[in-house]
Parts: sequence; structure tokens; C-alpha cells
Amino acid sequence: MKFSELWRLSSIIYKEISFQSIFSLRSGSTLPQRGRTSINQLARSAKTNTLISKIITSVFIGIFGFMMLFASTTTIDTAEPPRELALVGVVSAFLAVVLFLIIIMGLQVSTTLVSSKIVETLSVFPLTKRDLSNVVFLCLIRIFDIPLITAALTLLAAYAFLGGSPLGFIASLLGIIVTGIFALTLTIGLAKFFYSKVASGGGRSKWKTLLRIIFMFVWILPSFGTYIVVNFAVEIVRSFAVFTKIFSSTLQLLVLAYPFSFGFLISFAGSLQKISYSILSLSIVASVAYLLLALYALKWLTHTIRRIGVAGAIGVLRETVRDTIIKPRTPWIGIIRKDLRVASRTPSLASILLLPAIQTVVLAIAFSSFSEVGFSTAMGILTGMSVTMLLLSPTLFSIEGLGSAYTLSFPLKKKTLILAKTALITFIYVLSLIVLSVTAFLMRRNFTHILTFGGIQTFSILAASIIELLIIANKYWKKGFSLSNIYAKLPTYIMILLLGIVIVSIPMTIAFATYILIEQLTIPIFLISALSEFMLATFIVTREK
Amino acid sequence: MEQLAVTVEGLTVKYGAFVAVDNLSFKVKSGEIYGLLGPNGAGKTSTLKVLVGVLEPSTGKIGVFSTPIADEVGAKSQIGYVPEEVVLLDSLTPREFLEFVADIRHLEAATVNSKLERLTTAFEITQYFDTPIAALSMGNKQKVAIIAALLHEPKLLILDEPLIGLDARSSKILKELITFHAKKGGAAIFSTHIMEVAEKLCTRVGIINKGKIVGEGTVEDLRKLVKSAEGSLEDIFLKVTEQETGMREIIKALEEE
Repeated sequence: MKFSELWRLSSIIYKEISFQSIFSLRSGSTLPQRGRTSINQLARSAKTNTLISKIITSVFIGIFGFMMLFASTTTIDTAEPPRELALVGVVSAFLAVVLFLIIIMGLQVSTTLVSSKIVETLSVFPLTKRDLSNVVFLCLIRIFDIPLITAALTLLAAYAFLGGSPLGFIASLLGIIVTGIFALTLTIGLAKFFYSKVASGGGRSKWKTLLRIIFMFVWILPSFGTYIVVNFAVEIVRSFAVFTKIFSSTLQLLVLAYPFSFGFLISFAGSLQKISYSILSLSIVASVAYLLLALYALKWLTHTIRRIGVAGAIGVLRETVRDTIIKPRTPWIGIIRKDLRVASRTPSLASILLLPAIQTVVLAIAFSSFSEVGFSTAMGILTGMSVTMLLLSPTLFSIEGLGSAYTLSFPLKKKTLILAKTALITFIYVLSLIVLSVTAFLMRRNFTHILTFGGIQTFSILAASIIELLIIANKYWKKGFSLSNIYAKLPTYIMILLLGIVIVSIPMTIAFATYILIEQLTIPIFLISALSEFMLATFIVTREK
Repeated sequence: MEQLAVTVEGLTVKYGAFVAVDNLSFKVKSGEIYGLLGPNGAGKTSTLKVLVGVLEPSTGKIGVFSTPIADEVGAKSQIGYVPEEVVLLDSLTPREFLEFVADIRHLEAATVNSKLERLTTAFEITQYFDTPIAALSMGNKQKVAIIAALLHEPKLLILDEPLIGLDARSSKILKELITFHAKKGGAAIFSTHIMEVAEKLCTRVGIINKGKIVGEGTVEDLRKLVKSAEGSLEDIFLKVTEQETGMREIIKALEEE
């Protein structure tokens, strides 16, 4: 089959993948029968949402790249540490962010690709196995096209702007190609790993449950990586430059590690006179080794894709069943248990649900840079934590979209659903708060502010979560919860999140004002305002059926 | 004394401008198996979805054992539902899914487990009990949905094409269970395209076409309706839904090709 025909065919399959990953899988594969026009609108919307997702990733890569690369010439002192070393850190950080972001973006769509339900549709047509594999591979390229091109253009443009040499230009191109291949390989690898070890394997033993939790953490490593690099980018660059200057032996070790080897090669290719040739040689050797590894990864990738194209990559693990005993609990515990089980096997949900864990780790790391955790610092930390918690309501509610064409027939009260999800959000928040307080205590920082204000803030978060969930429930109760991901109904989500932010901000603003005016009344006033919000939200929700 | 199990009065379901169900009314008594028949797109599934609370009607009054469906929890508690397209929570295993169903329906461990054991054995699903639903065949998914519908011993069974994908053994067991359920005083509404099954299993049938009931009663009643002393339910169905017209010519033309 001609390439043009394969490319055209891959476009149809790509649209189907987008549609399934955005809508069908989230709405229980049964879309409301609203006539052809509505379905066409949904299909168009799926296409637009996938494009928006790509554009958001691309814009982020572009902005981050330019900010970081220009920061090396402006904010970082070019004399101490040397500009070349700072540039190594910047380029390495940029490549790491590209790697992590491509993976995060890809996981959403590639899981549908790996589950290979799409390919079954194609396999009945008179296509050769090779054609089938090529179509799947072209789909993969289509998933990542805009972000990968943006990453390459950003690095090359920024490098050209900084006055790089032709040699450095080639090194940059090489670096971004290797990063792209690594990202695609890791995406497919993680998706395949997830489906084979988590989604396709059931199991009720404690060991299996523990494994699933571990897999969930493996799954969110890219999110964690992005969070760390983006939050501490400048610190990473500074620390890297200073560190390598003090310990020159470390420099020789780092030059062997990806992405630093490309960082060195790209940076020093533009200023050959300032580098020791041993370092340059090491970076060339390491970069070539990574290039070879990338070629091997590409071979694995095409092989895996071919297998997905031909027979599906995933085998089902069947458990030995000893009994059919179930342990019923109350409805609200049942909802929490179901939500946790579903989230632990759904990567996109797991990554958002574990966001507070990532944030807590990042904040715990950041404690080392705080001289004291006073009122202002504690309130700053709590603001960030509150916003993260507000993201959980729509995420948890989107779980109801799975199989809703059937589960809506259950005698479930809206109130029970809202309270169960609020209880889970509260549990996650309180757990984060405890971890943070213990970390502060271990690092000998004053943790009383975090514990006191964080404890009071629980009421605000409860109130905001209840209201968010109530709005979503009222809006979607009879529409089959076809909530999809956050991009699918962005304006609605933004409005709901804004309202949540307003709710958690009111007591904090009052507390700030009180702190300035009558400091000793801060805690009682904060408590009264947060508690009032909580009582009001509880009153509203208890009136629901 | 026979009790009214389901009352549907003036039910209308619209999708935008399209009217899927048009002012539909019917009643089902306890002890009855009511077959809802109709060609594709006639409005059967939409009607059943409204009954189980998955779909909001445009207009109409519906009651389940005297409980209006506006009382969502009250009405749904009395219903066991098997959807036409079985879409469960695919990432869960049957054990986890049925546990969730038992949680929501406030079922006691002691009673539910003995019933579960009997049902899983009957439908030969035990070996798949800890396999994710996503990895099950369509027939096995259907069995999980059937077990979920029977677990709480509902007074009303609403089954939308429940035999699709089922093997002969499970199909036979399900039909026996439905008959037994009706004999015990329960009611069942059963949608199918298999006329032989409807003829043998159902106490009464309602034939729906373009959103309206075009024929209702026992098979004998329907024979009188089409003024034919003989003929199977399939023949009656084709006449009532006006699908017979031109059918022979179409078949002949296809055969000549």
C-alpha cells in the first residue's frame, strides 16, 4: 500500500483513538442517542480536545524552553558559574521536561492504542500485516507530531538565537531526536506495562494490591519529574553549575548520563576553546551511545507496535479463583472502594489522584530552603494544596462516567455519592497535611502553623469539594456523566474550579486581614469563617435527595 | 390478587427533534412476563432505559409497584436491569463489581454470598471471578450483568436483549429463572428480536413500532388482531409492523443477483 494511502488511513484511526480516549471510555462506551448531529459534534469536539491537549503541551514546551534558555544568558551570572556550564544545565533540564511532558501527554491517548481495540476494526479489511503495523506506527506519530516538532524548533531556534555553531546545531537536533524516541518508547512501554501488569491482571491478594499501588507510582513518575524540573529549574541549573565546578570529578560522571551528555555536547560545541577535550570526547562517546540506544529503542518500539497491529500486545493474566465470597459495606464505603480500584487501574485518573502526593513530596523537599515556616509561608503552602485538592472533585466524579449507561440504574442517592467523594478528598488532604507536618518536624522547622491553619482549612476544602461535586452532579446526573477528561468541557470545569478557589480563598483572605489588624484573633476568626462555609455547604447538600 | 407491577402512561422520549417514543402506554401485572418487541430503532431500549432511570422522559407517568419513578431510590430498589449493551466498570473484576453492587443495594454478606455462589455456578462464571471485566467475552460480561440484576431478588426484572451472547446452557437457565421469578409473583419486561423465545416465554407481548404500541396481548389476541387463525409470532410481528410489504420481492431480487 502506498504511503499516502497509509497516512490517510492512519488519520481515520487516529480520529477514532482520540474519540475513544476522550469520550467513549469515559462515558461507558454508550453515548447518549441524540441523533447524528450531536454525535458529529462530539466527534468534532474529541478532535478539537486532542488538538488542544497537543497545543497546550507544545506551548508549555515552547515557553519553558525559551524562558530557560534565555535565563542562561540573563538571570544566571555568566562569570560565576561559567555560562557554558549553566547552558549545560539549561539544555539538560529542557530535554528532561520534553521527555516527561511527551510521556504525560502520550499516556492519555497511547493507552487506547495499546489496548488495541481499534486495530481489531482494521484487521478484518484486506490489509497485510505490514500495512496494519505501519498504520498503527503512523498513528503513534500523529499523536505526538505537534509537541515533537515544537520541541525541536524551540531548541534549534533558541540555540541559533544564542549564537550557536553549526556543530552545536547538529548536536541539538540529535539530542531532540534521541529525546523524542526515548519519550515514545517510555510512553508505549509504560502503557504496555500498565495494561499487562495492572489492567489485565485482576487479583484480590494483598500482594497484588501492593503491586498495583507500586505500578501507580511508576506511572506518575513523569508527572513528578516534570513538577520537579519545572519548579526547581533555576535552582537545578545553579546547583548543577556550582556543583560541577567544585567537584570536577562529578563533571566527568555526569557527562556520561542522559540528558547531560547532550547538554555538554550542545553547550560546548558552541565554545570549543573553553572546554577540555577529554570532557568533549566523553560527551561525544556518551551521546553516540545514547543514539545507538535510541536506535535500539526505535527497533523495540516498531516491533511492539507491529505486535499491537497484528495481534494485540496484551495477554490476560487469569487468577486462580478459590471462592466467590464478597464483603459488602455501606454504600459510601462502596463508592470510595470502587473509586480507588478504578483509579488504580486508570492511568489518567491515577496521575491526578496522586497529584497531592507529588505536591507533598515537592513541598517537603522545598522545606530545606525555608528558614522558618511562619504564618505567610504556611498560608502559601496551604493555598497550593487547596487548589490541588479542588482538582480532585471533577476527577473523582468522572469515574461515574465509566459504565454510567448501566450504573445509573442503581438506587444511589446523589447525596451519598457527593459525601463519599468528599470523604475521600478530605482523607487525601489530611494525609498530605500529616506528612508535611511530620517532615517539618523531622527537619526541625516549626510545623505548628501548617498543622493549625491546615487543620482549619480542612473545613474550607470540605465546603468547596461539596459545592463543586454538587454542581457537577446536578449538571450531569441525567446526562450519563459523560464528563470525560478536563479538556472535554474546559469552560465548565474552569467555572467550577474558580468557584472552588473562591470558597477556599474567603477564609484565608479573612485570616490574612485579621492577622494584619488583630493578630491574636487570626485563628478564631479563620476557624469561624471556615466552619461557617462548611456548615452552609453541608446544609445545602443534605437538602438533596 | 394480581398487583400492577409497571404502569406506563403517555411516555414520550425525544432526542432533539426526533421522537423515539411517542405517547406510549402499557401495564404489566405481577406474575407476568411482558415481551417488548419491535424492529430496530422502534423505541424499545429507550422505553426500558426510562423505566430503570437511566434516561429522562420528555413526558409521561411511570410507576413501579405503585412507586413513581420520580422516587428514584424507591423505584430502582425494586428493579433488576440487564442492559442491551453491557458496559460495566471494565477495570474491575466481577468480584469487585458485584461487591460494589451489593454495597449500593445494602445487601447482607450472609444472604448475598449464598445466592452469589449459586448464580456463579449456574452461569459458569466462577473461574473468571478475579479476571478484569474488560478481558471477558461478551457472553461472560452478559452473565455478570445478569447476576448483578438478580443478586438483590428484585420484584421487577427489566431485560433488554438478555440472551445475546449467551451460550445455550446459560440461555436456558436464564429463561427458567425468569419463569420462576414470574411464578413467585414477580414481573419481567423482556425485549428480544427472537420471536420463538418471546412466543414461548412471554405471557403477553407489546409490539412497538416508530415509538408507538401497534399491537398488544397474548399471541392469540394478536392473531385475532391480524385476522389470521394461524401463523407464528414472527408472521404476526411482520404484519403488525408493516414490514411484510415488499419483503418477498426484496428477497427474490437478492437471490437473483
